Amino acid sequence: MIHRPLWLRVIAYAIAILVSLFYLYPYWWMLLGAFRPAEAVLTDPLRLWPERLDFSVFRDIATVGGVSIWRYLANSVWITGASTILSVGITALGAYALTRRPDLLAFKALRSGFLLTMMYPYMLLVIPVYIVMFKIGLLGTYAGIILFLALGPIQFFLFEQFFRSIPGEVIEAAIIDGASEWQVLRLVVMPVAMPVVATVTIITFLLNWAQWFPILVISRSPDTYTLPVALLNMTGELGVNFQGIMALAAITTIPATLVFLLAQRRVMQGMADGAVKG
Amino acid sequence: MIKRLLASCAFAALATGVSAEELVIWHDLGDNGIAWFDAVGQEFAKTHPDVTITSVSYPTDQWYGRVISAINTDTAPDLIYNNYERVIRIETQTENLADMAGPLDAVDDTGFLTEADLNVASYGGKMIILPIQRVQMGFGARSSWLEAVGEEFPATWEDAKRVAGKFMTEDPDGNGEDDTFGFALEAANPRDLIHMLDLFIFGAGLRHTLIDPEGNIVIDAPEHAEVLKEFLKTFTEYGYVAPDTINHSFAEMYQVIEGGRAGMFRVGDWNVKKWDSEALEGDFIVGEWPAHFDDKENAVVIGGMRGVAVPENSPHKDLAIEFAQFLLSQPAQQLALENVGAAVRDDLAVDDLSERRQYFAKAQGNLNAYDFPESLHAFYPELEATYHRKLLDAIANPPEDWDAFISQTAEEMREEAAKLSQG
Amino acid sequence: MSSMTPPVSANRVWVFYAFALPFAALTIIFGLWPIVLSFSVSLTKSATALRAEPIYVGLENYLSVLSDPIFRASLISTLIYTLASVVANVLFALGYAMLLHSTLIGPGRTIFKVAMFLPVVTPDLAGYAVWRWLYDQSFGAVNAFLDLVGLPAFGGIASPDTAMIAILIAELWHHTGFFVLIFLANLAICDRSLEEAAEIDGANRWQRKLYVVLPQMRPSLVINTVYAVIQFLKTFTVVVIITKGGPNGATNFVSYYAYRLFDQGRYGEAMAMASILFVIVAAVALVAYRIGDRRPS
Repeated sequence: MIHRPLWLRVIAYAIAILVSLFYLYPYWWMLLGAFRPAEAVLTDPLRLWPERLDFSVFRDIATVGGVSIWRYLANSVWITGASTILSVGITALGAYALTRRPDLLAFKALRSGFLLTMMYPYMLLVIPVYIVMFKIGLLGTYAGIILFLALGPIQFFLFEQFFRSIPGEVIEAAIIDGASEWQVLRLVVMPVAMPVVATVTIITFLLNWAQWFPILVISRSPDTYTLPVALLNMTGELGVNFQGIMALAAITTIPATLVFLLAQRRVMQGMADGAVKG
Repeated sequence: MIKRLLASCAFAALATGVSAEELVIWHDLGDNGIAWFDAVGQEFAKTHPDVTITSVSYPTDQWYGRVISAINTDTAPDLIYNNYERVIRIETQTENLADMAGPLDAVDDTGFLTEADLNVASYGGKMIILPIQRVQMGFGARSSWLEAVGEEFPATWEDAKRVAGKFMTEDPDGNGEDDTFGFALEAANPRDLIHMLDLFIFGAGLRHTLIDPEGNIVIDAPEHAEVLKEFLKTFTEYGYVAPDTINHSFAEMYQVIEGGRAGMFRVGDWNVKKWDSEALEGDFIVGEWPAHFDDKENAVVIGGMRGVAVPENSPHKDLAIEFAQFLLSQPAQQLALENVGAAVRDDLAVDDLSERRQYFAKAQGNLNAYDFPESLHAFYPELEATYHRKLLDAIANPPEDWDAFISQTAEEMREEAAKLSQG
Repeated sequence: MSSMTPPVSANRVWVFYAFALPFAALTIIFGLWPIVLSFSVSLTKSATALRAEPIYVGLENYLSVLSDPIFRASLISTLIYTLASVVANVLFALGYAMLLHSTLIGPGRTIFKVAMFLPVVTPDLAGYAVWRWLYDQSFGAVNAFLDLVGLPAFGGIASPDTAMIAILIAELWHHTGFFVLIFLANLAICDRSLEEAAEIDGANRWQRKLYVVLPQMRPSLVINTVYAVIQFLKTFTVVVIITKGGPNGATNFVSYYAYRLFDQGRYGEAMAMASILFVIVAAVALVAYRIGDRRPS
């Protein structure tokens, strides 16, 4: 099996490299677009290296729609960070309760209700959420945005799958030893759950970093926009700044890329597990 | 000092009932608009020291949805600002805008507002906006390109077609590549395509694009049909526009203009400030739209009116109306002209402005104003959307015989109008 | 609480309710309530939908939506797009996963996997913003490249005939990494010894793939297909960023069309469309799971 003809291997690598270029080239083009003046891109869209590095764009995008780019960045970090922590905590506890005692009254209904919610076309769910936010007084607030982003299917499936894999005897033994449920959670479950918590945290961070539509809808002003929403708002009736769009796209993409590269094995494993379960 | 402070506090408390208030205004004018409202806010603070003005700019398509849902949920901003036809849509969806007729009467000098201005501001028997900025749109051409191909600013449509041809074949930007087009237009959304057609029609001196005040469809009247045919051929047979124009809205159209891909384009009064300094760096001439007929005067198009409206459920309605009135004052209007390039008053200082900005500020061209069918026919937006789809379809799949297409479309529009007007 | 139940156990029950409470609250407030709300809004007159006392009009919005030719065209193009996307994504991902899994690829496999998965974690809005300009007739690299290698220009998002393909490719870029990943996970647990046995029995490579490997791929095929169907039925961001439903309505998919109506304050019709789309998504998901559960005889 190991000794395959060389020409076949060459073809296989050629295809894999071409496909990888298809995946990676847009990133390079985006970076080039951020550092090359729009006129230069027009003249030579395919150039693989900038003529010179043009940093002027960062002055143009210092404010977008009257709000500083630092504010968008801060919002991205705050909204993503807070919603991730909340999501991990709430979903872990919820999934734990639902897997440990699926027999309890209303738990089955809760699980079905959650699955139903996740099946609803997300973009269309967000619209009535506007009305809900208005009714509970969270329209335009960070709290509203963060709470909404705290709910996600893959988090739930990963936790549910993990908690199901914990052998019942381990927990029963602890209970027989007189541990309270809180102690079971803290001393028996949490220590072994750390890897899955880490995986879910990173994946949730990546997913919520990319969110834009709920943030757009729940916001009442650009003060609560994140980087992707600011990017959406860069094209208006008063013109479009190609270089600015590429630069802001790069700024939006780079943090997610770094997090992914640092944790790629964990992220890919986690995404696969979460999906296979769902 | 303390006395003055106390006095001003008392004044503010009397005027508004509460001290330190924030008026929020939603518009779609981008950074220019934000700068304008900031400056006007500072002027306003001279008489209302505890009031701050916060303006928020949304892309136009978001602006609608936000305003409508905010007014409907009692989370409205204090004021909204946009083109009259957009405010009409807000009124039809919410029926909750304040009548500005009273507030306008309370303004001392309004002599600079014409009958037409006031008609535009009214809808359904109610004045829904205070008219603040006339929207003028001229025809622009890149001066260096005209020079490169040895042409003058086109006066007639025949001139414009000849120039467009040269712009496409003679490499007017001298970059050695075949990458330039005659015109920058847009077509993606109903308002995009019909707006462009409006400019051709009114620029040629005609009075209606689709429907006249009596409700007759005009597109197959000989002169209208002529302009319409040339307009559609510009996208198809002549190919004077970038091939992806069918998918272009404002953003892409500006990209084509500012990126130096097309030599002739719409110039709005609000564009000139930016294009004088950046993007086009002053390399353009503004004038009237090309003439199609010897016996009709071609013109700069008055494409409507931007104005300010106050929702009935504005959190500070009285103060908001005061601020709306203030937008008609001389200092606020001067700032409007300087920051956004347009105003309605006739007593503003314009001498410091560039030649191109003065062209609009002094209204040097022939002017031809829109007929504002929206304010006469409630069903117009829907009719226009249907018309847009017909035209866009023809651009995507050009018919063999344009005349037949136009007369057939006219018939369909008549049926549609009859249907819509009944219910 | 009956006296038969020992107090300790009762406490334990309440602990679990306490654990589940925040999760339940979020699910109800931000999931079930909006769904109920969207259904009730779909029964009201749009102009009154958000008011304290909306006027209910029964199924009028549904009738108006179903008789709207634009909605019907939108629904058809959504279904066509979904079908094309599912087939393209699943086949491409399956082929690529088999290539990456094969013994032909040795060193560098991790790099190939990272490259393919990077777009999945890239904010979709940013990725599509780049694709939107890649397709641009003036700026874009796509046509410049085709021109360079002497191929005819691609209409891309400019032409109604090619716009759907253009956004299909952009979405394929964003999503396939995920599908490949699922296939790879499945391939990793395939029984190699079966394939080796087949080789000994004289089956050639293609026969082995077709009759030995593919049947073992059933779970991942089902997962990916269901995911892809649900994903592409709901296609939205790519349309917002790249085509805005155009040109000439070619990519005016249901999610986007409903959103446009919402933006115009036509809440009743928008929510009626949402409910219709939801029923389709739920039905497809249900049927797909049923098929997936049926074991091959």
